[in-house]
Amino acid sequence: MSDTITFTLNGSTCTVKPEAHMKLLDVLRDELNLTGTKRGCDNSTCGACVVVVNGKAVKSCNYNLAKLEGAEVVTVEGLAQGAQLHPIQEALVEAGSIQCGFCTPGIIMELYALFNQNPDATRDDITKALNKHLCRCTGYEAIVEGALLAQQKLLAQKV
Amino acid sequence: MEHKYVGKDYIRPDAVSKAVGEAAYLDDIRLPGMLYAAILRPEYAHAKILDIDTSEAEKCRGVVKVVTGKGCPFRYGDNIKDLVPMAVDRVRYIGEPVAAVVADTKHNAEAALEKIKVTYEPLPVYVEALDAMKEDAVLIHEENGEYWHLPVLKPEPGTNIAHHYHLLKGKGEAGFEDADVVVEGEFEYPFASSAAIEPHGSIAWFKSDKTIEVWSSSICPFIIRQDLAHSYGLPVSQVRVHIPEIGGCFGYKSDITVEQTVAYVASFVPGRPVKWVASRKEDFTSTLIGHGIRTRMKIGAKRDGRLVALKTDVFHSTGAYADTGVNVMIAATHNSSGPYEFEHCDFHGYCVYTNTPAVGAFRGYGHQESQFATERMIELLARKLDMDPIALREKNYLRAGSINALGEKMWKHSGDVQKCSDIVKTTIYDGQKPEEDEDFYYGQGFAAVMKSPKGAPFSTKGCYMKMNIDGSVSVNMGGAEVGQGLRTVVQQVTAEALKVPVDKVRCYTEIDTQFSPYEWQTIGSMFTTQGGRAIVRAAEKLVNSLKKTASQVLRVDEDFLDYDGEYVFLRSDPSVRVPVTEICRGYIGTDGITIGEVAQATADARLPRYSNPNEQGQGSLGVSYTFGAQGCKLRIEKKTGKVFIDHFASSFDVGQVISPKQIRGQIAGGVVIGVGAALHEKLQFDEEGRAQNPHYVKYHLPMLKDAPVKQTIECVETPDPIGPFGARGIGEHPVIGVAPAILNAIYDAIGVDFFEIPVTAAKIKEALANKENQS
Repeated sequence: MSDTITFTLNGSTCTVKPEAHMKLLDVLRDELNLTGTKRGCDNSTCGACVVVVNGKAVKSCNYNLAKLEGAEVVTVEGLAQGAQLHPIQEALVEAGSIQCGFCTPGIIMELYALFNQNPDATRDDITKALNKHLCRCTGYEAIVEGALLAQQKLLAQKV
Repeated sequence: MEHKYVGKDYIRPDAVSKAVGEAAYLDDIRLPGMLYAAILRPEYAHAKILDIDTSEAEKCRGVVKVVTGKGCPFRYGDNIKDLVPMAVDRVRYIGEPVAAVVADTKHNAEAALEKIKVTYEPLPVYVEALDAMKEDAVLIHEENGEYWHLPVLKPEPGTNIAHHYHLLKGKGEAGFEDADVVVEGEFEYPFASSAAIEPHGSIAWFKSDKTIEVWSSSICPFIIRQDLAHSYGLPVSQVRVHIPEIGGCFGYKSDITVEQTVAYVASFVPGRPVKWVASRKEDFTSTLIGHGIRTRMKIGAKRDGRLVALKTDVFHSTGAYADTGVNVMIAATHNSSGPYEFEHCDFHGYCVYTNTPAVGAFRGYGHQESQFATERMIELLARKLDMDPIALREKNYLRAGSINALGEKMWKHSGDVQKCSDIVKTTIYDGQKPEEDEDFYYGQGFAAVMKSPKGAPFSTKGCYMKMNIDGSVSVNMGGAEVGQGLRTVVQQVTAEALKVPVDKVRCYTEIDTQFSPYEWQTIGSMFTTQGGRAIVRAAEKLVNSLKKTASQVLRVDEDFLDYDGEYVFLRSDPSVRVPVTEICRGYIGTDGITIGEVAQATADARLPRYSNPNEQGQGSLGVSYTFGAQGCKLRIEKKTGKVFIDHFASSFDVGQVISPKQIRGQIAGGVVIGVGAALHEKLQFDEEGRAQNPHYVKYHLPMLKDAPVKQTIECVETPDPIGPFGARGIGEHPVIGVAPAILNAIYDAIGVDFFEIPVTAAKIKEALANKENQS
């Protein structure tokens, strides 16, 4: 693939010329130097690399670049407004959901997609979404608490 | 005792940078001119290397250098120097480095790797210690016994035994003469991976000025520095090691492992930094793995339930190199008494070379492996004595005045296992166990645990702190934050010790051996105790230096002065005072003449009277033990054999809670690691030593739906005399009792005893089917 690809990244237009073997994660990390998105495994299982493409949470380590042209991509770097954290980030910080932090960007983006699609997601929906992510530190308890707090914050913002 | 800052919750200082993606981990570091390494792994777990042909690989796109281990002149290791950075003429496990390609990109390095041709002559493979111990077994290290090793280690030349540890208390095995009842059992805690979500990795740079600079996702920068300096004949000061953010450790990023390999590769391309990050598969099979411990146990007791004798044999399949596993075996062996007093102990531990990846630390470090046996055995004994298993435990708990297996006397301040036990008992045995129904069996289980401290004669942790001109404080230490919340401990303990608000304390971020105070390594759940003590000691010095300056300003003897965080003042008349902001750089008079000293201090904290084991294998570990208890209520689905943990309870005597929210996070997370071990995780090697499941999913890391539905976590606080404000560590403890508590509950539910983990749904289904057939 020697063609260029143009897409929107965190609100700005962006053009890249990736090599054939590259996936979205390689483009983000190696071409664009956006290292907030993490690689944790070889086979799309851990969820650390999740970003949001066209509103959906996707595993960027496995995301085919053929689908990227014209897409809208949001990564963990695109959520905060300057120094003002996004409510999801704020909630995870406050709830003590973050230990080593390596799974955090993927989880934040998963929740970002979920609450954008469905602000009133049930606890079951939240569990289903979080169950796609591996965390070795927290035992998940504080992550669920953080997700529920994030939902509250987002709903309160809308009122 | 009431504390102002300790015992309260604060937002951890690294949370925001981790939430926005700014936190830089090893793979996020980019250096000018950086090259990338890919490493070839062998086709056989045990073989002679006859030939390596690198010619085709050298011609590939982007390749700068192809490296093999041929001619590598040194071995390395911290306990036993049996390790090589790259296989020289023999491979001993399936993940061993055989050759490496250095290229301009990772992709090009990996592509060229496939062009390297290696001819092997396969050798017999041993996956299990018991097989490698057989008399006719081929030696995995013909040099066993010749390697440099710590003086306390006893390798057995001509065998695969890298160390045989023996502990004797009282009459040893002869103590069983005093027993009325004896039970025996054999238990297996299989190979596993710490499997942090961030794979292990390093960057090494042999600089043109004859220094070496390294970045690693490691918790042992000072060991890396010392070991590399030794390997390359440099003064230790010429090696500089940086530790960026670490994406989880749980043990396996300790010691020195991949750093030596990456450095060896980088030494062939001087002037250029070389990065290598493990793939997930490599993280499973080419870094340290955990456990691999088989425990045979025999307990003797009096008819009334008093324990009298314990015999333990620990067989440790330590892997292809023993440097990192030998202490795991020793810990497993001497901690096999659990939290009980036995008058007579006879423990043998064997650290045995096998053709598997080297075992190293994995959260719990020997404790959970052998206490899994102890806590299952206590249940078997209770049945034989027809006693309530918790009552049996209560009769034998170590308490003030007891002597443990190592010969150390217990004190009241060593902690209160009875109290922890009571909390868990009341929580789990609440009289509300449901009756078996159409879909489920229900069970309750319990385990009590002991965690010994981890030290070494030279283990210490340093602290440097300075008070700034606005009265804020900067603290610098060498302890590695891996997610456990060490930085919050530093902030809160400093705040308490210096009486300044937490938000005025800045904790260091990166560790850099060029600037960071010396720390042995951040292991063994020792940072809170030992690092905290170093902070308290440094703070005392800093306050003394403030008082010394103030005594000149206020023209009064130092011992008349007090300090409250903002002022140094005259105790008998607090209106006579000077603000710390005016004396922290020394006191500048109106005429510009400055007196006194800068308010800064360094201190360290070692373990009091830590000693090597004596001829009986006993000795002081130097600091207080930690005790606890864990229990659970679970459901077993009849149709699938699946176990659901409805409620898990943990109680530990932590001395003093530093941060309630973080201690809960530590314990909740540790319990889930234990659940993984009990029900899901096993790194499986076939007879040829090939890993069968070096990937997530096939290696089932617990997910949210596998976690206990509810966790009760309650800490007991019997102040510790060594730790800061009475605090003890808690890092590893929560994993120790999980597997036995769950397996004891499984027995309670279905009447089937399991002696090996993981107890998967398939194994339960099979056991249920067998039971049905028998009836």
